[in-house]
Amino acid sequence: MAKPVNVSDAYLVKLDRQAVRKRRHGIRKHKLLYLMILPGFLYFVVFKYFPMGGLVIAFQDYQPYQGIMGSPWVGLKHFVRLFTEPTFFMLLRNTLILFGMNIVFFFPLPIILALMLNEVRHKFFKNSIQTLIYIPHFMSWVIIVSITYVFLTVDGGVVNELLAALGLSKIGFLTSSEWLRTVYIGQIIWKELGWSTIIYLAAITVVDTQLYEAAEMDGASRLRKTWHVTLPAIRPVIITLLILKIGSTLDLGFEHMYLLLNSLNREVAEIFDTYIYTAGLKNGQLSYSTTVGLFKGVVGLILVMLSNRLAKKFGEDGVY
Amino acid sequence: MNQSVSRNARKAAAALLCTTFLLLGACGNSGKQAASDQPYDENAKANITWLNILHTASPPTDTVLNKLEEKTNADIQFSWIPDASKEERINTALASDSLADIVTLTLLDNSSVRNSLKSGLFWEVEPYLNDYPNLAKISEDTRRSASIDGKLYGVPFQKDLARNGITIRKDWLDKLGLETPHTTDELMEVARAFTEDDPDGNGKRDTTGFVDRSDLIYGAFKTLSSYFGTPNNWAVSDDGKMTPEFMTDSYISTMNYMKELYENGYINKDFAVTAKTDQQQKFAQGKAGIYVGAIFDSKNLLNMAKGIQDNMELALVNDITQNGDESERAIWAANNGIGGLLAFPRSEVKDEAELKRVLKFVNDLMDEDAYALMTYGIEGTHYTVDDQDAATITNTDLWQQEVQPFAASRPKESGYPIHDADPLKQESDKLIAENANYAVLNPAYSLESETYNTQGSELQKIVVDATYKYILGEIDEAGFKSAVKNWRKSGGDSIISEYEAAYKANQS
Repeated sequence: MAKPVNVSDAYLVKLDRQAVRKRRHGIRKHKLLYLMILPGFLYFVVFKYFPMGGLVIAFQDYQPYQGIMGSPWVGLKHFVRLFTEPTFFMLLRNTLILFGMNIVFFFPLPIILALMLNEVRHKFFKNSIQTLIYIPHFMSWVIIVSITYVFLTVDGGVVNELLAALGLSKIGFLTSSEWLRTVYIGQIIWKELGWSTIIYLAAITVVDTQLYEAAEMDGASRLRKTWHVTLPAIRPVIITLLILKIGSTLDLGFEHMYLLLNSLNREVAEIFDTYIYTAGLKNGQLSYSTTVGLFKGVVGLILVMLSNRLAKKFGEDGVY
Repeated sequence: MNQSVSRNARKAAAALLCTTFLLLGACGNSGKQAASDQPYDENAKANITWLNILHTASPPTDTVLNKLEEKTNADIQFSWIPDASKEERINTALASDSLADIVTLTLLDNSSVRNSLKSGLFWEVEPYLNDYPNLAKISEDTRRSASIDGKLYGVPFQKDLARNGITIRKDWLDKLGLETPHTTDELMEVARAFTEDDPDGNGKRDTTGFVDRSDLIYGAFKTLSSYFGTPNNWAVSDDGKMTPEFMTDSYISTMNYMKELYENGYINKDFAVTAKTDQQQKFAQGKAGIYVGAIFDSKNLLNMAKGIQDNMELALVNDITQNGDESERAIWAANNGIGGLLAFPRSEVKDEAELKRVLKFVNDLMDEDAYALMTYGIEGTHYTVDDQDAATITNTDLWQQEVQPFAASRPKESGYPIHDADPLKQESDKLIAENANYAVLNPAYSLESETYNTQGSELQKIVVDATYKYILGEIDEAGFKSAVKNWRKSGGDSIISEYEAAYKANQS
C-alpha cells in the first residue's frame, strides 16, 4: 500500500475515522457472530492466557506460601541449571530419538492404512473395519501398558513362553534399555493407528471423482490412481498434520512413558515430561520444572514456525 | 489519532477483566463452603475437614464414620488422597493453599513439605500437647524426632519403630524337611530348595524362593541389607563423619546376595517391574515361598490364599543375621518410627480456640473406643470380642469396605488392651514389638541439607538405578563405584558436608 504524498493530516484523520466507522459497523452487523465467538475467546483468556502469567516463576525461587509477589527473583538461575546438568542432554537425546522414530515408523502408517481402506469396495466391510480399528484409541495408557506387561513379562508372559518353547532365550522386554523404544512405538501404533486414519479418510472423500474417471480413461491401474490422484489430493492435510506434529516434538506426553519407566531403562526412557513430573511435583521444585516446561514450549513454537515456513516454501498452505 | 479505537479497546479490556475476575471470584467462593467463622466452644459440635491419605482402593462408607462423629462430637469431612499419588497431591495442595483443618503429612523428608512447615504455614502445637490426656503421653523422643529445627508442627503419628521381616511358607519347609532359617546362608538354602526341590509337589519346577517387587526400600532389599549390618540411609562415626549406606561394604554384600538370588532364579525374574499387588498375588497363588516386607502383611497373604492355597501355613522370621549371633541383630526403622504429622494449617484453623477444638478432636481419636472403631469396626457388625479383649473380625468383606480405610488415620497404632485374636496377627505384633530392641535409626532424619532438599531424590535415582543394574548383572562393582562417584560429584558431596555441619550443630 503506497502512502499518499502531500495529503494533510486532517485528511488522514478522516480516512482513519472512516475505517473505524466501517469496522464498528461490521461489529454491529455481525454482532451475533461476535457473541458466538465470545465464550471461546473468554475460555482462551481465562484458562490459557491468564495462567501463562504464572510462567514468571521460572525466574524466581517460587515458594507457594510467599506467592508470586513475595518469592525472590533469581534471574536465569534455573535456566543455567537446566543447561548445565548432564541430564539435559540425556532428556534431549531421548526425546528427539523417540520423536524421530515416531515420524519415521508411525506417521506414514495411518496414510497407508487410509489409502488401503479407500480401496475397499464393500461398504459394510469397510465400515466395520473402521469402527473396529478406532477402539484401541479409547483405552487408557494404563490398560495398554498393563496388557503389554502381561504379554511381555519374563515370569510367564505369553511372548516369552513362546520364545522358550521355540528354544530361544527369554528377552526382558520390560527391563532392558534396548527394547524400550520398540515397545514404546509399538504401543503408540497399536493405540493410535486406526484413530489417526479419520482425517485422511475424510480428506479422501472430497477428492473429485472425475479425476479418477479421467485417470481410468488413460488406463491407470489402481496403484497409479492412488499415487497420482489420491495422494496429491490429500497432500495439504498430510503437511498440516506433520507441522502440528513437529510443534509437539518435545511434548511426547507424560502418562505413557511414566508407566514404562523403571530403574533399568531410565537412561533411554526419561523424557522432558517425566522429568518435569518428578522434579516439579514430586520434589516440589516448582520454579525449576516451570523452567523446563517453558523451554519445551519455546522450542515447540520455534519448530512450528520453521516447519510452517518450510511448507510455504514448497508451495503448501501451512497452518497459518 | 487512534483515540476512539484505543478508548474502545480499553473499555473492552476492562469489561473482559471484570468478567475474568467475576469468574475467578465465583470459583473462589464456591470452593470455600461453610466458612467456619464462628468461635469454637470446647463442647460444641465441631466441623472438621481432613485431608487424609487413603491406603485402600476405595474410601470408607458412612457406617463407621457416623459412629466416629458421634463419639468425637464432630462433623467430619474427609478429602481422600490415594497413597500412590500422595507426593504430587500434597505438593499441589500446599502450592495452591487448598488445605483442610487437618492435613495428614506423611512425607516429612519431602522438600516442599519441609519448607512449608518451616515457613510457618502450620500451627506449632507443642505448647498445647500437655493439656490433653492422650496427647500428653506422646514421648519426648517421638516429639524430638518429629520436629523440624526443634519445632513440632503437628501431632505425630505414633507407629511401631520397625515393622519389617520375613514371611515363609511353613508347610513347604516341613515338606522339604527344612528348619526355619536364622542366618542369611540358611535363607539362601531355603530359597534354593523352594526353587529346585518342588515344594508344592506338582512335579514341575514352577516355584521360586523369593517374590519381590520394584521397591528397594519396602521390598526385600533394605530389610536384607539390615541383616548384613548396613546402616539405615546414613551412618555417623564418633567424630561426626557421615557415610551414606551405599558406600558401605555391607551394602555391596546385600547386592551380591540379591545378585545370587537373581542369577540362580531363586527370585521372580521380573521383580524390578513387579507391583506390590502382583507380588502378593504370586505369593498367594503358591508361586513363591518367601516374602520380605511388613510382618503384618502375613495375615493379608493368608487371607488372599484362601481357596487357592488352602494348605498354606506361614512362619514369621525377624532374627536373620549373617552368623546367627544375637548381637548382630538389626532392623531398619522406617522414618525413625514417625508415621508423619497431623498438621493444622493457619489458613483453615484461624485462631487458638479453633486449634484447641481440633486438638481435642485428635485427642479423642486416641481413646480406646475410637481406636477400636477405626481398627475393628462396630462390635457385633464387624467383629466380636471375648473377655480377654481379643477381637475376631467376623465379616471380612464388610470390614475391608467400611473399616480398613481408617486404619492409617489412627494417630496411635499400638498400646491398647484390645487386640486381634488371630494368632498370626498376634505373632506379628509380637515380632514387631521385639524389632524395636534392634531398630537401626537414620541419624540424618531430622538434619537439614539444602542440597538434599532440592536435589536429593534426583540424586538418589543414580544410586537406585545402579543398584538394580548391579543385581541384574548389567554392571559390575567398578560400575557401581563409578555411579557412586557420579552421585558424589553431582551433589552428594555437598549433602555429606551439609549433614556433617548440621550434625555438629545439633551435638553442641
